[in-house]
Amino acid sequence: MIKRVNSTGRRRIPQQHVQIEVCDGDPRSFDASINLAGFAAPDDALLVMEATCAGSSRVARFEWGTVASPTPPPDRLLHGLAGQHVLFTLKIIDASDPFRKLLGVAENIRPLKGGKKTATGRQGILPVELSDDLEDEPWRVEYRTSEVFLLINSKLPFLRDQLRSDPLVYALIYPQVVRQVLKQAFADQADEDSPEAWQTRWMSFASQLHPDQLAPPDEDDGEEQMQWIDAVVSQFCRQHEFLQRLTRRSGETTWEDLS
Amino acid sequence: MKVRRFNQQGIDAFRQRLSDLRQNPAADPPLDLLENERLTQPVSPELQIQAVHFETKGEAAHYLSLALNNLKAEEVATDSGLWTWLSLLFLDSVSPPTDGRRIIRNDYFYVFEPRNPRHFYRHLLFVSWQILRLAPRCHALFMGTRISSLDAITAEVMQRLYLTRIRCIFEVLERLYWDPVNRRPRRGITGSRVSPGNLRHRLPLRISQLEKNYDLVDLNADQLITLLGEEFAFKSPGSSF
Repeated sequence: MIKRVNSTGRRRIPQQHVQIEVCDGDPRSFDASINLAGFAAPDDALLVMEATCAGSSRVARFEWGTVASPTPPPDRLLHGLAGQHVLFTLKIIDASDPFRKLLGVAENIRPLKGGKKTATGRQGILPVELSDDLEDEPWRVEYRTSEVFLLINSKLPFLRDQLRSDPLVYALIYPQVVRQVLKQAFADQADEDSPEAWQTRWMSFASQLHPDQLAPPDEDDGEEQMQWIDAVVSQFCRQHEFLQRLTRRSGETTWEDLS
Repeated sequence: MKVRRFNQQGIDAFRQRLSDLRQNPAADPPLDLLENERLTQPVSPELQIQAVHFETKGEAAHYLSLALNNLKAEEVATDSGLWTWLSLLFLDSVSPPTDGRRIIRNDYFYVFEPRNPRHFYRHLLFVSWQILRLAPRCHALFMGTRISSLDAITAEVMQRLYLTRIRCIFEVLERLYWDPVNRRPRRGITGSRVSPGNLRHRLPLRISQLEKNYDLVDLNADQLITLLGEEFAFKSPGSSF
């Protein structure tokens, strides 16, 4: 388990200081409003916006002027970023440092507004996406840098709706997903100072869910981690009444109907 | 022959034929799919290509770079149908027959999945083209390797976007890990032993840490090597790990 360390005093910029609108088009474009009031930095510190997107290996980069004079570039097209979930990062870079030290960062910023092709606003901790790449696997949990996705095989689009409505689907899938993600969150711990990291958000969710609201145990105690996860998953199932719902649902449909 | 791309039906049909070839390694490659009007369509603008033979990633990369030059690189880089069709056209290179039999390995070596982070870099033709695109020079570690397999250096580097997006990374890799005297990668750089400066274990971790505190994208190779620190200050290019 390796944590990356903020060893140079880089400061976090609250996400709400960067407001982004993505406009439909082919490719899409975006605009950003950056509010750096209260962030002490030299006037000539450089601003850079980066855009990534679930399902793309591309990082689009846009130089945005300086702290004293933020200047959007004329070309703000999101080439090669076709997925629904676009995330932005704002970097403030020390212009006087030849090694381009980061003075501040706002990571994983979601667009506040967007067209039909773009997911906007706050998002749950487990976005669900259809995927063309699962071959014969019905669903899979996929860990990306900033987010965990539940991928549904695009050959089974109805499964996405059933995840919301059918206990035979959600009560059998979600407990396993929660267990799997929490194990991964212990194995691949978030960096320091990363409240937006998926691990941090999942651990916070799980701590609140834990029957005794216990914080995650120490990273080195594997047995205690497993017990903590068991308690969280059990409470998750209890809170959503999975057993009762499954029992009622099984009265409506026999297992033979499904085979 | 005109360059074409598979549609989804074509990709599915090619997957099925790959499966058939695994069952019957001596069977002829399914070249009938190449110009099937129902399964393929020509790219636009129209391009010509020949089924030449490649031994190395470098040969494939240079040939394809020229052949596809009139297409937009951004679109080529995500064109599943095109790269999958090219795999069939060059099947004798990416899966060469030995004594009349060929070994067909996992589909992702031949069927391009640009949206799959665990598979996209395994496509043998795409990854060759992509390395040359990202590194028009300083690609000695990659270009001499065989086109028919995914070598460890290519896999370790190309799977990590946070490495390949750093503009100087290929020069850094070549300066750190290429042995110019013997004209080969330094021994042990992707070995399982975690040794200081090792490409497989240590470089990604070190870059990942630096990325937290520095904007690495535009640094030059001298600067990045300085930041990497003493662990990567190798005494002799020919030394092993």
